[in-house]
Amino acid sequence: MIGLDGKSEIGFRGILPFISTLALVLLMQLQYKITFLDNMFPFLSLTAVYYWCIFKPQLMPVSVVFVLGLLQDILGGGPLGMMALLLVLVQMFVVRQSSRFLEREFLFNWLVFIIVTLVFGLATWIIASVYLKESQNFWDAFGQSMLTIAIFPVVVLGLRWVRSLLVTENR
Amino acid sequence: MKELRHRFSSGFFIILALALLIFGSSNTPVVDKFRSEISDIFVPVLAVASWPLEVVGGVIEWTRQVAIVFSENKSLRAENESLKQAQTKSSQLAIDNQRLKKLLNVGEGKVNTIAAARVVSDSDSPFFKSVLINRGTGDGVKKGLAVINEDGIVGRTINVGTSSSRVLLATDINSRIPVKLASGGINMILEGNNSPYPKLAFLPFGEKLAVGNLILTSGYGMVFPPDLPVGQVVEIGAEGIRIKLSAKLYNLNYVSIVGYEIIRSPVSSPSTKEPDNSSRESNK
Repeated sequence: MIGLDGKSEIGFRGILPFISTLALVLLMQLQYKITFLDNMFPFLSLTAVYYWCIFKPQLMPVSVVFVLGLLQDILGGGPLGMMALLLVLVQMFVVRQSSRFLEREFLFNWLVFIIVTLVFGLATWIIASVYLKESQNFWDAFGQSMLTIAIFPVVVLGLRWVRSLLVTENR
Repeated sequence: MKELRHRFSSGFFIILALALLIFGSSNTPVVDKFRSEISDIFVPVLAVASWPLEVVGGVIEWTRQVAIVFSENKSLRAENESLKQAQTKSSQLAIDNQRLKKLLNVGEGKVNTIAAARVVSDSDSPFFKSVLINRGTGDGVKKGLAVINEDGIVGRTINVGTSSSRVLLATDINSRIPVKLASGGINMILEGNNSPYPKLAFLPFGEKLAVGNLILTSGYGMVFPPDLPVGQVVEIGAEGIRIKLSAKLYNLNYVSIVGYEIIRSPVSSPSTKEPDNSSRESNK
């Protein structure tokens, strides 16, 4: 995941992290016609925000994360501000720690992601329960988090390819 | 300095998100308009993006249909014979019914199909059950209309934009639909609980239901027309009476938005008619 030394970013391609995260947000809104996925679709946007905040934090500022989270709230029909708030908190946490993540292996990043996702799932369950004024099924949120953790390597593979488009060889 | 700026902007956006979370929950017209305008922008994109999934779903469904076509054909032939006999009987009853309704001046329910729409997006969340459709005020859609498909009820419109609308599904925790038992006509309320099996509430004391009982819309509330298929009782237990909906809400392609109103034929009595005519003439 690391080791793209000697390379620099190209201006226009700087929007690729935003575009790729937006694509994942839209992907989360589609109807997959599978009863299981209909109930708990992985938090793809969380994976993208986590990834870009580690490797290109300057291209995933808090304002962009807020807009993407808000868009997810609007398109998903959930409470306005829920995803925006949670993704901003994830961005804050990861950007602060990103230098430590960069030095580590993929497995370490995945392990941290497991903790982040479980806390994220717990937070969505708490907010949804407070918002709906009724305790919701916790295991649905847990299942959603587990699916997100399981699919992490696949999403990262795609984002890594997008990241390779961001850089060019220094001549 | 950079760190301070980052902290400040993070704090600002956290406060903004919290404010939206607290004040956005009241569903004020401003929030509704904001939501619908953003949805209007993204619905064409989602419509294009959902095409491949629809094609794949269509192919899978076609393969399934082909696999069962021979076994189903035999049973359908037998069913067709009995239906032909029932049709003759029911047409006689329909004529009788019509005549009696006219005599009693019973209000006729009028169902208008306002628009047919494509489902372009699903919330895919365990806590919020809704879908986005590609029809809005420009097509005559309004807030609070019934949404159905060929299998039964789907939900009702809760947020309407110019070219898109959000439909609250019957399984959502905020959904309440007046229903009745098909065989006995007992009125109840179908309550969504964010699970695929919504519950029946307000079953009158002393009345009993059985697994397999059919549930239809009652028409009360003037949102859903009466006698639309809702589902079947699948479980009666300590957690309540659970219903399996007729419509597969996880597999929606096209839906219809329908309006429902009661129309009563005017009572034709000469004593009430004449003054109306005279007043019209005097206005002229």
